[in-house]
Amino acid sequence: MRRPLIWLGAFCLVAAGVAYAATAPRALPQEVIASLPAGDATRGETWFWAGGCASCHAEKGAEGPDRLGLGGGRVLKTAYGDFTVPNISTDPRDGIGDWSAGDFANAMLRGVSPEGEHYYPAFPYTSFTRMRVEDIADLWAFWQTLPAVAGVAPGHDLAFPYNIRRGLGLWQLVFLSDAPAVALDGADAETTRGQYLAEGPGHCGECHTPRNFAGALDTSRWLAGAPAAEGDGKVPDITPGPGGIGDWSASDIAYFFESGFLPDYDSVGGSMVEVQENLAMLEPSDREALAAYLKAVPEHASAE
Amino acid sequence: MRKLPILIGTLLAIAAPGFAAEDPIDTRQALMSSNGASAGVSGAILKGELDYNPVVGRAAIISMHAAAEAFGDYFPEGSGDDPRTEASPKIWTDMAGFMTELEEFRTKSAAAVEAAGKDGPADVEAFKAAMTPVLGMCKECHETYRVEK
Repeated sequence: MRRPLIWLGAFCLVAAGVAYAATAPRALPQEVIASLPAGDATRGETWFWAGGCASCHAEKGAEGPDRLGLGGGRVLKTAYGDFTVPNISTDPRDGIGDWSAGDFANAMLRGVSPEGEHYYPAFPYTSFTRMRVEDIADLWAFWQTLPAVAGVAPGHDLAFPYNIRRGLGLWQLVFLSDAPAVALDGADAETTRGQYLAEGPGHCGECHTPRNFAGALDTSRWLAGAPAAEGDGKVPDITPGPGGIGDWSASDIAYFFESGFLPDYDSVGGSMVEVQENLAMLEPSDREALAAYLKAVPEHASAE
Repeated sequence: MRKLPILIGTLLAIAAPGFAAEDPIDTRQALMSSNGASAGVSGAILKGELDYNPVVGRAAIISMHAAAEAFGDYFPEGSGDDPRTEASPKIWTDMAGFMTELEEFRTKSAAAVEAAGKDGPADVEAFKAAMTPVLGMCKECHETYRVEK
């Protein structure tokens, strides 16, 4: 009678150990942290606008310099529950002002907090993980120019099992990858720049790509459109396939990013408005690079 | 008997707004298409695809303003459920907010009409200065009050 119990106990111990390891946070290696350069704030500003930080973390409706105040507080109502956007301003107490560059890199590239907890992928580190370490250093240098905003937003209100944060470690083990979302053979320098902007900081796929059963992006239907994360609207297919934007020229796409007008002079709407206003802050050559990338991605039928 | 055609004409004139209001969705969509066409002319001018002419610039401004004046009358309660409409349900749950946006649109288009005067903005720069605030209202309102599509 005693022997099976011992085996059962041993099995449970091993299972617990595997579960513990599989769900553990995986921070960047020390040598990567140590190799972070000082960073250049001017270059970092590009990543700030390309990344659209203000779209979630600035106050809704903020305009002009107010978009640099990242006090959080918006609530994203999704199928998984309500995510409250945190304060990531430079306030040392309520924001992330007391972080090191290494803390910031771990958050952006690995989805791990300074306390070693996992972030929910509502924070799109799933895309930011494709960014170069030196670009993270530049963004962090720009961060130091941003204002401190006081105030702590309340925590998330999620449904079971999503409220078990530790479980995200397993999810990250399976789904977090810094590999390119699509293979673009023989892409020129402009298209490659666009791919980096779109798949890394720009995180276009997070809204425009459908998700699988586990809430991870289905790269086999990259940018083919998806249900909106909030509400019951749709996010459009932006591939060159049927139902997509194949009939837009590259300059139509770049003009849309600059002005918010579609080729038929309908206007941008919904959550894309803030994204477009961020893209309008980029250099024209970066908007053209994004357009070149969108002309180059594989065609898909709309995934709706 | 000669008065009959006049009577019919008068009745029609009285009834006409009633007919228009019977399908508010058609009406507001026609007004929105008109805005899109005005934005199209404006965009072509600003991009340099269309040679500037003050008469054309003025026409784009005036038609935007006409739509701004009329638009708010075509969102009666219950007209958000039709499958044809792209109007967001938020219009009816937050009518005051929607009306605030409309009033801003109207104020900005009125200012553009004022700037255009009777001859239209003199050059592209003047047209751009007058029309840009009006064009900015498209997305400002569509951000919240049109369905995601």
